[in-house]
Amino acid sequence: MAGVRTSREIVSNRIAVVAVFVALAIMLTPIYWIASTAFKPRNLATTIPPTVVFEPTVSPFVKLFTKRSQLREQPSQEEYDAAPWWEKMVFDGGEKVVRNAKTGDVTLSGYGDRFTNSLIISIVSTMLAVSMGTLTAYGFSRFKVAGEDDWLFFILSTRMLPPVVVAIPMFLMYRVVGLNDTHLGLIIDTAFNLSFSVWIMKGFIDEIPREYEEAALVDGYTRMQAFFKVVLPEALTGMAATAVFCFITAWNEYAFALIMTNRNAQTAPPYIPSQVGSGLPDWTVIAAGTLLFLIPVAIFTFLLRNHLLRGMSFGAIRK
Amino acid sequence: MAQIDIRNVQKFFGHLQVLKDLNLTIKDGEFVVMLGQSGGGKTTALRAIAGLETVSSGQILIDGVEVQDRKAADRDIAFVFQSFSLYPHMTVRENIAFPLRAVRMNAADRDKAVTEVASTLQISQHLDRKPSALSGGDMQRVAIGRALVRRPQALLMDEPLGVLDAKLREQMRAEIKRLHIARGSTSVYVTHDQIEAMSLADRIVILHDGVLQQVGAPDEVYLHPTNLFVATFVGSPVMNVNGVRIEGNSVMLNDASRGFTFPDPVLAGLSGGAGGITMGVRPEAVLLRHEPAEGYVQAVTTNIEPLGSHDIVDAQVDGAVLRARTESGFVTGEGQTLWVRIDPAQAHFFDTATGLTLRGAN
Repeated sequence: MAGVRTSREIVSNRIAVVAVFVALAIMLTPIYWIASTAFKPRNLATTIPPTVVFEPTVSPFVKLFTKRSQLREQPSQEEYDAAPWWEKMVFDGGEKVVRNAKTGDVTLSGYGDRFTNSLIISIVSTMLAVSMGTLTAYGFSRFKVAGEDDWLFFILSTRMLPPVVVAIPMFLMYRVVGLNDTHLGLIIDTAFNLSFSVWIMKGFIDEIPREYEEAALVDGYTRMQAFFKVVLPEALTGMAATAVFCFITAWNEYAFALIMTNRNAQTAPPYIPSQVGSGLPDWTVIAAGTLLFLIPVAIFTFLLRNHLLRGMSFGAIRK
Repeated sequence: MAQIDIRNVQKFFGHLQVLKDLNLTIKDGEFVVMLGQSGGGKTTALRAIAGLETVSSGQILIDGVEVQDRKAADRDIAFVFQSFSLYPHMTVRENIAFPLRAVRMNAADRDKAVTEVASTLQISQHLDRKPSALSGGDMQRVAIGRALVRRPQALLMDEPLGVLDAKLREQMRAEIKRLHIARGSTSVYVTHDQIEAMSLADRIVILHDGVLQQVGAPDEVYLHPTNLFVATFVGSPVMNVNGVRIEGNSVMLNDASRGFTFPDPVLAGLSGGAGGITMGVRPEAVLLRHEPAEGYVQAVTTNIEPLGSHDIVDAQVDGAVLRARTESGFVTGEGQTLWVRIDPAQAHFFDTATGLTLRGAN
């Protein structure tokens, strides 16, 4: 900003800065809370007032990935000395790591598998929703479809019922066809993203001038080639934005996952609270699981952030 | 290069008929400009030739082969869009090479063709830039380059200069003409700008309401308009058009009592239909004098537009106003009395009801 700034501008600028910091604090506090709890020893997790300064420990993460049981009696000194550093942490917490009776291998908790399930289901579901959504949106955008508005509304209406309402009948149907507790079943469930994907992509594709395709058509390409060579590169920005949206929704999906899955295909969202369990919950373990759960979405959004800022094709068409 | 024949082409959009029995032959190597108002059907006709629009009935022939049912890709025709329509994610080089990739030309030939067309259009220095980094004129050069690189049967242009500013438009107009002369490509050019049409065309095709009004060389269209629409659409400032009464050798404007005397046999046998006769006179055919003279009628100036090279003077004769083109400074102010005459050789008479010419200017 060039020129002399008036005192009024300076004041309003400062107010804006303060507002941004307040908003930032409100949004970051829960994340800080989770992150700090994930590194606290168990006895500091629920102190009042909250403990801010503490010696960080990774024991919540060790506990997160292992199956444990309460110690009936203290381990012998030899047993304790022979244990690796991470097992000592579990002993220190009054628990012991469950091992296979024959092989002595550590029994892992379900978190790793659930996390992998979350990744598989979210990625496949996002890819399906974005690719099918883009094709559908292109059809609606470029061709005369009888009852176009009704169809689009119908597509959107699949999103209008709360998932729980849909989940029960879906559960019964899945039981008949054997899709309960399968990855495919949950991927189909998260395909409700398709409706949003169609709508968002239609907005983006409507804004891509038809002349691009027409130019490609007279330049000797088929409509299919024109779509892939000209429309798709222009739609990438929109697809990236849609993908972020779909991925976050699929990643956070809870209701379907809770009802449709229990072991094989269960995702992290229903698993993490199930570890609250009976008795005293170990909040540090839950915080560790939650913190790890945040990471993929953060990375994905960060990678696609440039596409989220629109305007890549700005200026290439003159109106 | 090829000849294009349009035979009995009709085009409906729903119930709206946008092309009404269009017949036109564009000769090999000819530069034809389709001129008309927006909504007149000229762009639809162009898109129909390209295959971007189907025709409801009729034939389109390129080099004697019926193509109306072929896809655009199979017509071997190039199209330049008003919006340029350069692919923003490709460099200029890739844009120009794009049609060559469609026919799977090998890389070496492709490079050669792109380099050649780029140097013809003087855009070689921009080849590795993105279209968005170019000026409007350069964008249009690239669009033309992309159209020409394949050496298509015909080059179709839809208001290619429409979005450029006036100065650049003039420059690009000259470039397009030069390019056409150098390449001799059969070209069809759509515009609503009559100056573009006059300066570029071998022949002008005037379309109005989906109906072909007149086809002819620019001077023919200007000097011998076949109807009132063409007469008033072509020419700037616009032709004076007045309902007239003819009595003997005199032409009376509207209900004026004084008339302009025309020599024999200009007015002989002129008779309009029920609606009467309309006279059209271009401003340069309205002659002004400061002193009375034989055949001149008294008039009062009501408005003067000084345009530098010449002035446009509104001269009121009784109830009617005739716009005259004079040398600059000929009339100094409004309310001046002067005398006006119409050049009989440049007077056009039309049937008011049908708009058709009764007799072209001699």
